[in-house]
Amino acid sequence: MSFVSRNQKGTNGTYTFSSRPRPVENRSKYREKQTEKAEKAHSTYGNIMYDRRVIRGNTYAQRFLSTMVQEDLAEMQRQQELRRRAIAQKNKTKEQLRSSTPEAVQGRKHNVVQTELYLEELSYNIELSHIECQTDPLLDRPATPLFIPAKSGKDVATQIEDGELFDFDREVQPLLEVLIGKTIEQSLLEVMEEEELACLRAQQRAFQELRNAELAEVQRLQEQERRHREEKERRIAQQREALRMEKETVEKIAARAYTQQYLADLVPTVFQSLRIHGFFYDPVEKDIETNFFPWLMAEVNSKLEKRNAARQLLDTLIHDVAQKKLPLYTNLETRPEK
Amino acid sequence: PTIPPTTSEPTLDISEMTGVHIDPSRAPVAFGRLAIPELFAQLVEPDAARRLRALASLCDLTHDPERLYQVVSEGFLDQLEVLLKDGDAAVRTRTCELLHLVTSHNIARQALLSSPLLARLSQLLDDPSPLCRTRAHRVMNSLALLPAGAKALQALVPKLMLKLQEEQEEKEEEVQALLLSTLSCCSRLDAAPALSHRGVTLIGRKLSHACSNIRREAAGAMMALSVIVIAMSQVCEAAVLPVLADLLRDQDVDVQANAAGAIMNTVVITTGKHQCLELDVLPVLLELLSQRKPDVEEEQRRKALVLYSLRALTSLAEAPEGRRRLLLQLPLLVGRSEPPEEDADIRRAARTAVNVVTWTP
Repeated sequence: MSFVSRNQKGTNGTYTFSSRPRPVENRSKYREKQTEKAEKAHSTYGNIMYDRRVIRGNTYAQRFLSTMVQEDLAEMQRQQELRRRAIAQKNKTKEQLRSSTPEAVQGRKHNVVQTELYLEELSYNIELSHIECQTDPLLDRPATPLFIPAKSGKDVATQIEDGELFDFDREVQPLLEVLIGKTIEQSLLEVMEEEELACLRAQQRAFQELRNAELAEVQRLQEQERRHREEKERRIAQQREALRMEKETVEKIAARAYTQQYLADLVPTVFQSLRIHGFFYDPVEKDIETNFFPWLMAEVNSKLEKRNAARQLLDTLIHDVAQKKLPLYTNLETRPEK
Repeated sequence: PTIPPTTSEPTLDISEMTGVHIDPSRAPVAFGRLAIPELFAQLVEPDAARRLRALASLCDLTHDPERLYQVVSEGFLDQLEVLLKDGDAAVRTRTCELLHLVTSHNIARQALLSSPLLARLSQLLDDPSPLCRTRAHRVMNSLALLPAGAKALQALVPKLMLKLQEEQEEKEEEVQALLLSTLSCCSRLDAAPALSHRGVTLIGRKLSHACSNIRREAAGAMMALSVIVIAMSQVCEAAVLPVLADLLRDQDVDVQANAAGAIMNTVVITTGKHQCLELDVLPVLLELLSQRKPDVEEEQRRKALVLYSLRALTSLAEAPEGRRRLLLQLPLLVGRSEPPEEDADIRRAARTAVNVVTWTP
């Protein structure tokens, strides 16, 4: 791999060095031969975070490799090797168990973002020079100053104005008002309708009750009236009946008296009239009358007839004579006049 | 679909929201005055489900008096006649429900009474579906509450009496209650038809039913019937008075009131008086009078009961036996006729009672 490094003398003779950032290759534990080194085509790149050569964390309490005794170096290296393997093993299992961040939703992309208070530019610059100093062991260590990294990069700000945020409570209010208002109004309408109907029914019921009571009263009075009237009529009829009976009795009495009186001299009158009509007759007298008297009368009649006839004869004789003598007498009358 | 904003709507009815299928069982309603004609146009479609949906929407709309007026004035009621003969029971039931809603307004009632719908309705009383029968009875009942309706239904009274006889086998309590209520309304106008069809015996049987609604309606019907003298004598003969006396001790105030009313009507004739005195109804009535509930509303409900008891006592006081016993209880009656009693009608009735009790020939 080629790297661009520039060692040059600057315009004023300062020495500058810059190189492209390049990933660090894995270095094998054992030194390789020179020939194989040249043939190395693909070398694996190690993660800088897990490189033993990178000093991480506090640099004040550093492992002192350089002051190690030569005999213990192999021992030390073996121990470090063991430790490293254990850690790697632990990390591998941890990685297997730990679930990584899920894949980004379509249309989105995951971005690694620093969330510390002060943003820091991460770079692959390797420390090349190393200066250390040692303070007096008896000196107090001053407090660590707050690490404020130098500002680098562009500042970008964003601000959420008033009214841009979606406030659920405020937005939902008109919807709720409409929903609840309409529901309540509808229910009020229904309740009022039912109340109205109930009112009508109550009024009707009150009227019916009154009507029924008054009707009963009317019926009672009617019945009373009827009873009274019937009683009255009965009494009147009774009275009339009594009167009639009385009158009848009076009439009967009067009739009886009258008849008695009338019939008192009926018998003598009857006898009288019978006697007058000749029903009571003396048989001798009757006999005389029927037999004798007609004969007598006839005899008398004949006698009288005879006498009458005689008289008549006489009359006619006289008349004849007179007649004959009339002219004579008339002559006599006229002659004397002369 | 979004809900339109409130400001642009003139009325406050959910069913006014146009084009929104909130309820799949109701047909969508057109806007403004086209709603009713369009729904009625949907009623002639061959598909029964669509007719049902249109009917459901119509039922919702007719709660509004303006719509109802539109329905009646544009003569759509006659179209319902065809629907009453429909093959689908659900359609018939819904039509009956619609008619029931319609009868809550006067113009609709008058239109109904003058249209041939009544004859159809009476045929529906024999419908195989029980729900349809119940609805038809409900329509009849609400029609009968009107005097003109009661007059129109007079011709149906024989059929209703027949139904009453048949309903003994079924357990339809609501139908029986409705039937009895209709009969009592018709009998208030003219009790002769019901009487001539053995009204007293049939209704007398219902007086001892388990359901208090039926008892109340039966007692009410009995009260309406016994206004005629013939009925009074029939009641006395049929031994209904003991049952009525039992009902006076019932739990429900309305049942008690109606029973008291029936008794009040029956004791007008002498036989009734004697029977009641024998049955010892007097103490019960006096007890009902003397009870006073603290609650004002309760008192109002009992007003009918008190009124009828007073009238019954008045009639009973005309018999010498009753007068004698009531003279002993005179203070109670006088108490009810004085101003502490709020109701003027009760005062009047109590005064009449006092007059009758203290009357001497």
